[in-house]
Amino acid sequence: MSSGSFTKGIQRVLRVLALTIACLVVLVPLGYLLLNSVKPQSEMYTIPPIIFPSHITWEHFEAAFNNPRTLRFLTNSLTVTGITTAVTVVVSTMAAYGLSRMGLRAGVLSLIIFVFLFIRFYPRITTVIPYFLVMRQLALLDTVWAVIIGHLGITIPFVTWLMLIVFQDLPREVEEAAEVDGASPLQRFGLVALPMAAPGVASAAILTAFLSWNEFLIASSVTKRQAQVLSIAVASFVTDRGVQWGPMAAMAVIMIVPMILFALFVQRYLIRGITLGAVKG
Amino acid sequence: MKRIYVFTALCLIVSLLLSPGMALAQEPKEIVATYMQAGTYDKAAEELVPAFEKATGIKVELIVAPWDVLNQNHITDLTTGTGAYDVMSGEFWIATVFEHMLPLDDYVKRDNYGGDFIERIWSPGPSNFYDGKRIGVPYSADAYGIWYNTEIFEQCQLKAEWETWDDYIAVLDKLQTCLKGKDIAPMVHYFGQIEQPAAIFLGMYDGYLVDKNGNYALDREKAIAALNKMQSLLKYNPEGVLGFDFNAGNAVFLAGKAATMVGWPSFIRANADDPAQSQVVGKWAMAKFPGPGFPMVSAWNLFISKYSKNPDAAWEWIKFYANPENGKKFMLKYGIGSPFKSTYEDPELLKTLAHFLPGQLENLSRVKSLPWTFAAFEAFFRNEGDFHQGKITAEEMLDRVQAEWNEIKVPEALIQLADAQGLMEK
Amino acid sequence: MSTVMITQKRRRRLRHDWPWMAAFVVPAALLVVAVQFYPLLFSAYLSTQDWTLTSSQSSEGFVGLQNFAKVLQNDVFQRAVRNSALITGTAVVLEMIIGTALAYLAAGSSRIIRAVRTLLILPLVIAPVAAGTLWRMMLNSQMGLTNYLLSFLGIQGPDWLGNADWALVSVIIVDVWMTTPFVLLVVLAGVSSIPDELHESAALDGASRWKSFLYIDVPLMAPLLLLTFLFRMLESLLSLDSIYTLTLGGPGYATFTMTYYIYTLGLRSFNLGMAAAASWLFMSFATVALLVVFWLQRRWQTAQ
Repeated sequence: MSSGSFTKGIQRVLRVLALTIACLVVLVPLGYLLLNSVKPQSEMYTIPPIIFPSHITWEHFEAAFNNPRTLRFLTNSLTVTGITTAVTVVVSTMAAYGLSRMGLRAGVLSLIIFVFLFIRFYPRITTVIPYFLVMRQLALLDTVWAVIIGHLGITIPFVTWLMLIVFQDLPREVEEAAEVDGASPLQRFGLVALPMAAPGVASAAILTAFLSWNEFLIASSVTKRQAQVLSIAVASFVTDRGVQWGPMAAMAVIMIVPMILFALFVQRYLIRGITLGAVKG
Repeated sequence: MKRIYVFTALCLIVSLLLSPGMALAQEPKEIVATYMQAGTYDKAAEELVPAFEKATGIKVELIVAPWDVLNQNHITDLTTGTGAYDVMSGEFWIATVFEHMLPLDDYVKRDNYGGDFIERIWSPGPSNFYDGKRIGVPYSADAYGIWYNTEIFEQCQLKAEWETWDDYIAVLDKLQTCLKGKDIAPMVHYFGQIEQPAAIFLGMYDGYLVDKNGNYALDREKAIAALNKMQSLLKYNPEGVLGFDFNAGNAVFLAGKAATMVGWPSFIRANADDPAQSQVVGKWAMAKFPGPGFPMVSAWNLFISKYSKNPDAAWEWIKFYANPENGKKFMLKYGIGSPFKSTYEDPELLKTLAHFLPGQLENLSRVKSLPWTFAAFEAFFRNEGDFHQGKITAEEMLDRVQAEWNEIKVPEALIQLADAQGLMEK
Repeated sequence: MSTVMITQKRRRRLRHDWPWMAAFVVPAALLVVAVQFYPLLFSAYLSTQDWTLTSSQSSEGFVGLQNFAKVLQNDVFQRAVRNSALITGTAVVLEMIIGTALAYLAAGSSRIIRAVRTLLILPLVIAPVAAGTLWRMMLNSQMGLTNYLLSFLGIQGPDWLGNADWALVSVIIVDVWMTTPFVLLVVLAGVSSIPDELHESAALDGASRWKSFLYIDVPLMAPLLLLTFLFRMLESLLSLDSIYTLTLGGPGYATFTMTYYIYTLGLRSFNLGMAAAASWLFMSFATVALLVVFWLQRRWQTAQ
């Protein structure tokens, strides 16, 4: 009996130990990033490194915010993420509802789902140049719209796929009852199905927001000056004179922190969204 | 749940309100100038904008982007004839699009511009030309160099004098003996910055870079000898040197932990003279970059796009940015290497920078510019990286480089550039 | 009897609703066709053309499958495929193992364990670009935190980004760091869908936790685990941002992956034809993997 509780004790200790290590592995790099963003330039490049700065400096943040471009990056990122998310949620939710209630044959539906999956996972780089050429033709280069439309191309199939799963899981009885009561398709969608699917919609919106905020490749290929976003700003501190750690850390903090706070706030939906696509589908 | 909707809605409203200038009013006299994001050239340009706008009434928008994004944007802009940029910052890396640049000879002649430059920097190579016509005006100049810790050399009773890399290696050997047991390396270089060691190779190699038929090629024997000599340098470096980037390499020298350093002087000069960041203030000096090859040049040029709607205004900006007064100012303030003679002869500067200016000028007067496209350069430095790692021999490396080069067509501008600088097979 | 009637009613209703539902789908369909299919077809066309944007503003002619042949014979491409296979293979296996282990360790509903879970999934929301730069600071051999911390343990840390083999390890570490939480979340969801009774009865039969994991959880979750593996594999193969900021494909060709190869061809050298051909080769592979994903998902659903 006592040996049993002894093993249990050991197991407990091991579990705590393993989880502590895992947390440290996550936290230490993030902490280092934070420290570097407030470290004076003269303590930045030393061998061995100075971990805790002798004093905290805001010079990197000041430099970032004194630069009008930073504000532009920030507003662009917000605009792109906001519009992409709103449009995606509306368009995809409708499309998913339509697809799930169209009475399509299983084979056809499978094919559509496969196409969605394909769009999610083919190498994005393939279409970057054609997309660039299209945007040029439409004179949309270097506008937030070029970025937004590019992001929509990714998020709409993805979210439609997610929402399709959600709608297929909903019980049909309520909708049928509503129909008997004379509700139009639009009413059935807006007043019956949508409220039931609300948690799924929230998850999808949040995932879309993260995807759009963090995206780099499309944003970097169709923007030049006016429409640049934060992900490009972070990458831009790798210069031909080496990496400017201080400014880069500050910009990364500006980009990451809002997302971390947002993630904490909406954690439940975020997790649901992430697992939904993998667990079902 | 409710909170989420409110929150999302708020986010949306805020972002819509903040939506930046989606409808940009096009001012009549406005030019767009590009600079690389480096915290130097770009900062200098920003500083000039208000004075320029006041003096000329021309509005300037600066676009600052990291190196490869900048090149990418330039190339797509020029090949598609978009004309979004009037003044472009670039080097020979974008030689494939030199045909889209406006010849500047008429402006130069009209304004009697150019006499203030170091002669070598104003010539084809460091200055960019196409079909015999000038298309670029250099606004920075740096030459690959060697600098040394004078204190260590005194202690070891050595002189930093060498003509060839063999001479230099002989000095490194003596340093190694002298520094035995100390935590000081005879040499440091940022070998971890994968594109950098090629400059050392070019210093050791005195063959051609383009063959008789206008294709990329190397004199095999000379190249193998140079590569192996270069590899022998690794042992004089601190341990783990293959991971040293610019920051780490500089930090070693600034801490007084290396007797000599090979690299770009402008990346370290200002820091080395700053007591807050350097242990070697007053204890370092430039040395001669050894032969028989050449010191590679970094000379950023300003170009005007053929598709610019305001070439005259663009030229005004170039003159305003690249002149002797700014050359001196920007060197002191931002560490940008000056392309102007007067900076190196300035009596006032010579008082404080005697350890730097004469040596730098000497190296600058021997520089050459590479006739490589970026793809050609990348084929070289990536295989060179595998060679440094000991994954392949020098012979294998050259075979691989040549195989990749065979797929690359040398742009006309670069054949001309190679020819003008004696880098073509005779 | 009644089921038949309902089905019939439903059918009738569906026919009646069809235009409405189709109208719901139209906006999404239009966008997907315009933003995805058109560029995809365009790139299929490009793959048969001899077109380098830096030398010509329009295609220099149809070359059939030559671009594909060129890419396949290209030594750099072959190295890139090897690197991709190595990085993705190792990273994803590690992610699966660590993620699964952490999912079990971090199961529970106490306040602390929930906080721990929140912490553990943070890397998921960090932009890959930022994660790459962050680890570039961490892994600098001289000035980075990693080797400094190792030195306290008496270990002389390796030359992470400077040594070809360690650079591969570094890229794998960053991939694992960024995406293990994904595996954790999926496995956690999978575990919670296993009925508790199964575990309880196994415990009554005297089976150890390990045994019940091996004989109950693993078989039940096998399709899900495989699915996660494939999702991760595809995503890891596609990742570009973190390598772009971490190693730039170096040193030498050490971390030059397939995606990086296509990126260099397309957006550095502007060889549109070859870049498109290389992407389509990549895509044919992705399609096969996706077919497997698809098949597995059906199975997982019917198994539930």
